[in-house]
Amino acid sequence: MTKKAFRPDVDAPEWKGGYSPYDIIKEGTIALVVVALLTLLLAIVFGSPDEHAITIKTWSNAAPVDFATTALSELNGTSTTAQYGAPYNHGSTGPQLGPFTLAKWAGVRISVNTVNDFVIDPLKSQPSQPALSTALTQWSQASSSERAGWVADYTKAAGKMTFANGQVMVNSTNAGPVPVFIEDLTQMARSGALDQALITQAGFYTTNYTMPLLFLADGTYLSGLADHQHLTGDQWGMMNETGSYPGQAWLWLYTFWYQIPPFNTSANADVLVFAIMGLLSIGLLVTPFIPGLRSIPRKTRVYRLIWREHYQNQEKT
Amino acid sequence: MSWYGSFAALLPLDNLGHYLHWHFIDISIANVVVIALMVITFIAALLLPFPGRQRRKENP
Repeated sequence: MTKKAFRPDVDAPEWKGGYSPYDIIKEGTIALVVVALLTLLLAIVFGSPDEHAITIKTWSNAAPVDFATTALSELNGTSTTAQYGAPYNHGSTGPQLGPFTLAKWAGVRISVNTVNDFVIDPLKSQPSQPALSTALTQWSQASSSERAGWVADYTKAAGKMTFANGQVMVNSTNAGPVPVFIEDLTQMARSGALDQALITQAGFYTTNYTMPLLFLADGTYLSGLADHQHLTGDQWGMMNETGSYPGQAWLWLYTFWYQIPPFNTSANADVLVFAIMGLLSIGLLVTPFIPGLRSIPRKTRVYRLIWREHYQNQEKT
Repeated sequence: MSWYGSFAALLPLDNLGHYLHWHFIDISIANVVVIALMVITFIAALLLPFPGRQRRKENP
């Protein structure tokens, strides 16, 4: 049987020299103590940002017209959520990778009907109010075409929407119950009641904020705040934190793709970037099996810089 | 304000950050500082001698 030839990229030569004792527990303990002390010191000296949570109450009080316009977009089906597709609804095909309609395959897992979930059902949860009860009855008894006509009429007039004296002002003529819906939903939001009505957690602890977050994301208020803090996708936002706190610098490659064509204009950027990063991660995982790439450490000889004492001694002997 | 709160007020980081722009690159000064410190640490790890090397002698 012939002996296999030595392959420098794959095989390790047998060590025939001496061995030195090395206390890795001691080194680990020292590293742990140093890092813990450094963390404590930095936490004391630097104040971390403490941004308050943005709620629908915050939003509707700060930008009532934006809230009311977004509420209307939920009602007329033009909001991002209404047109998103899976996992929320069948509004569009959703994110896809080439011919693979990934989101559609996964299906509607968190069903969201923006008309009922964001507008009608929260209004139904309000204590009895004559005008609102009448409007809800009128809506429930109307045909689809009647509803569409009312919403279209209000949408047409809403281009000149204002907010004055604590009320939403729109000069609509034949909008049926829609003005009452938008006005009451805005008042509900400003009081904080809509935040509670949209929380759908069945358990004791409230942890599911899907509905209020979707509603918030459909408006321009939240994205405006994110833009101001350099947190949006086209601002390398994945790498950033609020304030002047350092962010997640290690996500540079992930967010880099979002800045260049074709990803910065693609509606499927999330899936495309996910696929690229998946491929690159697999490439990193199998580096030891890729000829050429696996030779880089051996050819750059950085190891000789780290263990220079050893190689100097070896050359002397 | 608690005693540790007054420490934190020395260098508050809740003010809006400063950013460097160059073509499509947009990076915060805070991230630049962290990246620079990581690079310095890496170079130091390569170049600084191992501690206790005087005491440790390789066996022949």
